[in-house]
Amino acid sequence: MDYDKLLNMSVEMGCRLMSSGAEIYRVEESVRRLLQAYGLESPEVFAIPNCVIVSIATPEGHPITRMRRIAGHGTDIELLERCNGMCRWLCDHTPPVDEAQGMLTDLWEHTPKHAPWKVLMGYGIAPAFFSPLFGGGLADALCALIGGLAVGFCLLYAGRLIGSNSFFRTAVCSAVASLISLLLVRLGLGQSVDTVTISVLMVLVPGVALTNAMREIMAGDIVSGLSRAAESILTAAAIAIGSAIGLAIGWLL
Amino acid sequence: MTAILSDYILPCACACLACVGFALVFNIHGVGKVICGVGGALGWLVYLLAGSTILAGFLASAAIGLYSEVMARLRRCPVTAYLLVALLPLVPGGGIYYAMSYCMVGDTERFLDTLLHTFGMASALAVGAMLTSSLFRAAYLHLHRPGAGVK
Repeated sequence: MDYDKLLNMSVEMGCRLMSSGAEIYRVEESVRRLLQAYGLESPEVFAIPNCVIVSIATPEGHPITRMRRIAGHGTDIELLERCNGMCRWLCDHTPPVDEAQGMLTDLWEHTPKHAPWKVLMGYGIAPAFFSPLFGGGLADALCALIGGLAVGFCLLYAGRLIGSNSFFRTAVCSAVASLISLLLVRLGLGQSVDTVTISVLMVLVPGVALTNAMREIMAGDIVSGLSRAAESILTAAAIAIGSAIGLAIGWLL
Repeated sequence: MTAILSDYILPCACACLACVGFALVFNIHGVGKVICGVGGALGWLVYLLAGSTILAGFLASAAIGLYSEVMARLRRCPVTAYLLVALLPLVPGGGIYYAMSYCMVGDTERFLDTLLHTFGMASALAVGAMLTSSLFRAAYLHLHRPGAGVK
């Protein structure tokens, strides 16, 4: 068996899982089981949120290690479910490594994605329906819809302008959110600046990071758990700073 | 009857639809969207019934944790998706905003008060979902196939 190819395939699987938002224990466990299914005795896998290291020893006793860095982190549940399902299938059937590699590449290309306008709509309707939960009326819901669409537009299309630094991106988006809410309320469309702003900010709130942090700590991956907890606190700080700047600009206008 | 409609049913329907919106953002397809929506509505209902305090947040996230574990077992999928989306309406976005605005006008007392409340709410959410998830997992492993893996 070509162990180099097997190692490449399993690291790729780990990478896909990680970048679609899987927990650390799932990545480590999946890659380990995959390698064990292919007959390796004791594969070692180590993962933190932006790095996967896999080390195996061939039956002749030759050790091979591969490390992959993972730059961007998103949450893509459909890809996660498919990767997870495929990993189980590979463990059960163990097809030749080349075939498995081909399937993995196909999986990446054939995973359905929502059309951009649908995702944008998701960014719009979430704040629109949050505003009644924070005591807003119909007018506030409409303002939140507009604000949410603007923030979604910033997140989806203005990535090149804002840059890839997530702290800065969150700050800019929340500044846009609070500025637009303030302006819409001034124009007489909305009733309460607070309600509209909070509803729009809900799409930026670090709920994902918080949930992930707690799941990592629960699974015993303290390092990753702490780094995700720090991420959620930093995101919250970015939201506060950004919306303060937005409000300040709004008052000056 | 009208009171029940406007106090409980309408907010829960809103939470449900907001969660469906987030399901689009996180690329969730098919029946997963409905599961996320129902999870969000369930969480919000528990939160409202328990009185909208930090304890209510804890109970709501415990309910969501249990619900998502059951749904993940039924669909044989990672539990992340349902937990992630259903918890979002409870995340204290308002707390962050109000803390910021009190800080800006220099009202230190209310700023600290809101900040601590926000932290309390976030920890209550984390601990609630963590607790039921762990308990469910332990019970499940005990009842079914002892020694089976985490998936």
